[in-house]
Amino acid sequence: MGRYVVRRLLQAIPVLLGTTFLIFTLVYWLPGDPIQALAGDRAVDPVFRATMREMFHLDEPLVVQYGYYIQGILTGDFGTTFRGLPVSTIFEGKFQITLNLAMTALVIEAIVGIGLGLIAALRRGKAADTAILAFTLLLVSIPTLVSGFVLQLVLGLQLKTSTGIDFFPVAGTSEGWRSYLLPGIVLAGTSIAYLTRLTRTSLMETLRADYVRTAVAKGMPRRRVLGRHALRNSLIPLVTYLGADLGTLMSGAVITETIFNLNGIGRQLVDSVYLSENSVVVGIVTVLVLIFIAANLIVDLLYAVLDPRIRYE
Amino acid sequence: MRVFKGAQIIAGTAVLALGLAACGGGDEATDPAASGEGAAAAPVVVEIGEPQHELVPGNTAETNGAEVLNALFIGLVNYDADKKPINQIAESITSDDQTNWTIKLKDGYKFHDGTPVDAQSFVDSWNYTANGANAYEANYFMGSITGYDEMNPVDPDGEGPQEAPAATATSLTGLKVVDPLTFTVQLKNPFSGFPTMLGYTAFYPMPKAAFGPDGKVTAAYGESPIGNGPFKMAKPWKRGVETKISLVRNDDYAEAKAKVEAVDFAIYTDLNTAYRDLQAGNIDIMDQLPPEVIASAKAELGDRYIEQPSSGIGYLGFPTKVGADYAKSPELRKAISMAIDRKTITTQVFSGTRVPADDFISPVVAGYRQGACGEACTYDPVKAKELWDANGGAQAGTIELGYNADGAHKEWIEAVANNLRTNLGATVEPKPVEKFATILDDLGADKWKGLFRMAWIMDYPSPENYLKPIFAANAGSNYSGFNNKDFEELLKKADSAPTVEEGIASYQAADDILLKELPYIPVYFYQTNAAFSSNVKNVKIDPFERIDIVNVERA
Repeated sequence: MGRYVVRRLLQAIPVLLGTTFLIFTLVYWLPGDPIQALAGDRAVDPVFRATMREMFHLDEPLVVQYGYYIQGILTGDFGTTFRGLPVSTIFEGKFQITLNLAMTALVIEAIVGIGLGLIAALRRGKAADTAILAFTLLLVSIPTLVSGFVLQLVLGLQLKTSTGIDFFPVAGTSEGWRSYLLPGIVLAGTSIAYLTRLTRTSLMETLRADYVRTAVAKGMPRRRVLGRHALRNSLIPLVTYLGADLGTLMSGAVITETIFNLNGIGRQLVDSVYLSENSVVVGIVTVLVLIFIAANLIVDLLYAVLDPRIRYE
Repeated sequence: MRVFKGAQIIAGTAVLALGLAACGGGDEATDPAASGEGAAAAPVVVEIGEPQHELVPGNTAETNGAEVLNALFIGLVNYDADKKPINQIAESITSDDQTNWTIKLKDGYKFHDGTPVDAQSFVDSWNYTANGANAYEANYFMGSITGYDEMNPVDPDGEGPQEAPAATATSLTGLKVVDPLTFTVQLKNPFSGFPTMLGYTAFYPMPKAAFGPDGKVTAAYGESPIGNGPFKMAKPWKRGVETKISLVRNDDYAEAKAKVEAVDFAIYTDLNTAYRDLQAGNIDIMDQLPPEVIASAKAELGDRYIEQPSSGIGYLGFPTKVGADYAKSPELRKAISMAIDRKTITTQVFSGTRVPADDFISPVVAGYRQGACGEACTYDPVKAKELWDANGGAQAGTIELGYNADGAHKEWIEAVANNLRTNLGATVEPKPVEKFATILDDLGADKWKGLFRMAWIMDYPSPENYLKPIFAANAGSNYSGFNNKDFEELLKKADSAPTVEEGIASYQAADDILLKELPYIPVYFYQTNAAFSSNVKNVKIDPFERIDIVNVERA
């Protein structure tokens, strides 16, 4: 198992190098002069442009620029934005916020999704099942944009102005964990629907399996049959989905972050792509890739925990 | 430029959300209980976008950072209701020849650290900003002072192999300290409007404490600037991490003290979200509202809604020298201008956040003349068509309308395109480009042939700022290729006029040439749409879109 983990981590190195170079090249080829983009509608001063181009090595060819970037990383310097903000500061503040948001969403998603899926599978064909299926359909079809604004308006604003209950803040992170609840729900919305349906299908399949029938025939308590035999064996596809979803939630939080004014990496990424800020885009993407790799590894290791037949050598 | 991609995507659905808000109705009153406890000490919360740089005067050339600095600093001059400069720290600003200026300071002004605001503090600050090696955003503001060129050597072949020569100076030779309260400024060319520049952020002084032992502005100063204004930093602001900048009143302020004890600047990325927080009582002042809420804000907020002209102008520009046939002919340019229904566009597309433009000079500066553009900016489809046909418009080919798709420009450009199709019978092709820099690059390389959208926001309230940087032959932002001898002469005459008033007459004469030639078509003036909560009163906003924070009071 230890050797397996080491091998997987070593495999991550070429993946990282490949993605950073790819992203770096893509950002490099974005049209328009990034220094001009800094100045907006105004013509940028030629002296300012020259100074900035030199400072950020923009006058060098692509490979040399990439070399500077990698050299910086190896010496612990992740570079700065064109506006002089160290990329490490962005990691420090903004990643934490996005991570908090994604984890909140993941927890909500896991609890609500698996819970609803469980009920639906056990009440198969009954009214509760139909209602849950209809609800998931609704969740999938509402864009984040709409659910975000509506929930913010109803729970954030109108709940406070009409009843005086000030539980969900409209925006920002000043209220601690409560600040992440609404955006977490919004972000988790679509994933909840998928997870519910996945749980339902997976569990229904397991419930039909021979070993479940045997367990029931043995006279095992229903709780134990469900928990130990049925649910545990249905978890593998669910864990796979949740693991992959963490990365998706983190990289796809731009709209949610904007609506709820969370100062996360989503907005930073959009801004930096706009300004062709290579070091920032590559830095953020690299960390996202790392999170994807780590999440996948944890998922793979969890397989062995969930199903003792799976072993890693 | 505070609108970004996400905001526009959101804009569409905001309309829907607003419909819901209207249904809710009657909930506009902010709950007093929510803000009741400790109301005396609670700071006034002002919404801003994220400042682009650390909070240093010379590196702040955008409205968000300027809003904060405006509370922390005061300048040599301030502006009265007529947008004319009035002395603040300056005792007098005088010149005999409009080139050599003597600035005398009033005694008694102090920085937050207790050191006096003297001539040296201005000279140090301006020198630092003017130094090209520091790559400060407001660097170009110092370009009119003697000695600037030596500090900012131009690369002889642009991006070619030759290196730019090394700077031969690290301070402006045109700045001289005479005594602690007097300094002189020598300009490269006469400029009668020089005093109007001096209220801008870039010209604020900096104390000795700003500079480290190596002569550079320290990182600590950027996080916690020491100013000379009515407020001071309550604690350092960590840019990129913290979304709130906290200020407290400066009780040692030489002028009338601020009426509130503390101000927080809260950073928002989306105006719709900020407006919700204003409704919920979490924000007190917004100096900009999202277009979607204007109609309901007017009704809901009553006199807590502010609408006034702002300094921005939106244009459609022509490459007059290298462009298509219709771009080269003044008559065809006029026909296009007359075929645009500005009124409908400003009310329908912009929900009244813009007003039709009728001059090249903005209504916020002295020198604006209402209706100066006359016939050329008046919607008259019949005359436009006549003029178009009479000057060979039918043979002019497809009219291209270039715009950057990353700003909220598609709707109004499409509206203009429809106007031109219907009224001139021309084929029109709106041409979206991923970002504005691409259009500017193409214009610089003489590759752009059609119309392009353009906008200008003033740097200082002088008519000169709407003419020279955009239309003078050698100006950096002259994208139309406009080059007119009489225009240049009039600018020169205005610049060296003995008084601001006499200068204005000549600027207006120069403006008349533009209005005849129409290298750009003025389409709309921007408006300031601001709002404040019921927790505060006496909120006023100046032509720089800065809040008059000293006089804001708790309601």
